[in-house]
Amino acid sequence: MCILKGDTMDAIAAEKSPVATSWQGVVRFLHKTPRAFLPMRSFPELELIAGRGIEGDRYLQETGFYSHKPEEGRQVTLFEMETLEALRRDHGIELLPEEHRRNVTVEGVPLNHLVGRRFRLGEIIVEATRLSTPCRHIEEILGKAVFDPLINRSGLNCKIIAGGTLRVGDIVRPL
Amino acid sequence: MAKPIKTVSTVVSRIEELGNETKRFILVDQDDWELPPFKPGAHIDVHLSPGLVRTYSLCNEPEDNRRYVIAVKRERDGRGGSAFLHDRVREGDHIGVSIPRGGIPLNLTAMNVFVAGGIGVTPFISAVRHLERRGRTNYTLYWTSRGGPVLPDMIRPAIEAGRVHLYDTTSEAKPVIAEIVKECADSGFAACCGPEAMLQAFESAVENWTDDRKHIEMFTPPKRIAQSDVPPYELVLVASKKQGTVLPEVGLLGTLEAMGVDVPVSCGGGICGACRTRWVEGPPIHRDRVLSPAERQSELIVCVGDCAGPKLVLDL
Repeated sequence: MCILKGDTMDAIAAEKSPVATSWQGVVRFLHKTPRAFLPMRSFPELELIAGRGIEGDRYLQETGFYSHKPEEGRQVTLFEMETLEALRRDHGIELLPEEHRRNVTVEGVPLNHLVGRRFRLGEIIVEATRLSTPCRHIEEILGKAVFDPLINRSGLNCKIIAGGTLRVGDIVRPL
Repeated sequence: MAKPIKTVSTVVSRIEELGNETKRFILVDQDDWELPPFKPGAHIDVHLSPGLVRTYSLCNEPEDNRRYVIAVKRERDGRGGSAFLHDRVREGDHIGVSIPRGGIPLNLTAMNVFVAGGIGVTPFISAVRHLERRGRTNYTLYWTSRGGPVLPDMIRPAIEAGRVHLYDTTSEAKPVIAEIVKECADSGFAACCGPEAMLQAFESAVENWTDDRKHIEMFTPPKRIAQSDVPPYELVLVASKKQGTVLPEVGLLGTLEAMGVDVPVSCGGGICGACRTRWVEGPPIHRDRVLSPAERQSELIVCVGDCAGPKLVLDL
């Protein structure tokens, strides 16, 4: 019997499903904050705990703005670098990676196409549950009119299937 | 289930007696995390107890982002906020505060003239510290107080450098505000915070100035998210047997919250549908981007909704 390692299995999956491997991205920024309203702080790495959330983040500690509406599929949230560029280009809004209030800022990852799919963030496996919706809460905190421009590109909510340490620079790829 | 979190959680790390019936309170995050950012001279609502919310200017500058510093003078004839802070609040207490709002629109290149009366100096302490931190000296603060000033330690270098003019009104005449603002009559910026008579004198002195060159510091209500532009109407909730009046400045959602109705609001902007509610009588005004025309016949997204008639009846 031959036991294949994860990378080998991924390679086989890639051969069988060229569509699923048509993208590969990278983790550019990682952020968390311990309580609602407090600024997000940048970290070189975050500890993701399967089935629970991010160590030290407000939603694991039930101290987030939406903690009174617990949601299994919001254990980690992602956001596209490309959206930050689009806001600057199309709306003249400078939104910084620490301001969108999602945990993981990625580049080269088509987040809106991943709902219902599992994919890898470095060594971690997540399952995308739904698109994030923008909220007035962010406008209130930032004082920037980002609600409308973020409709349909406000990030992705995910459940953590296999946890571990996520680092800036990690590769994001289909499973 | 956790309760909705509506304020920034802070801890009173230090209380100092400043004399002249004034205390300084230092508020920090329990883990010394950065606090929500603010502009020079911004203010916060301090939630002291249910129904007791008071607004105070921040004395520290935006770069000093791990604490909120407020100075509170006991108001003998006040409504209870300053007395609560002076008599009941202790170091180590947890206090919820709002996100900071407002601020003084400083002119970074031309002259800034600040006119303060008594404890009204607090937003200018913040502004002076902000300018000094940036190495800017393009300002003068005129500060009158009855007796010695209470916060000089926060702007000591500026005082020693002669950029702050102090007037003890127990022993000297008050400055003439019309003369003070002449310093930047042709260009620059002037701002005032103090007792009513001082504000009136200032307003009169800068009456002909353009709005962007003058500022009267007053505590403004929070920016409204969804401004209601309809006349007041009656609100009836059939399930909970409650009724009230929706005023334009409060709005439908604000009225529901004031009535103690727990509406599951999420986005607050009419796109997520979390606060979808059945309506019985209206007609309602729909401003959402969620409901179909058919759904609007019986449902309303209350976070952005209103009523086109005199009465709105909801199934809440």
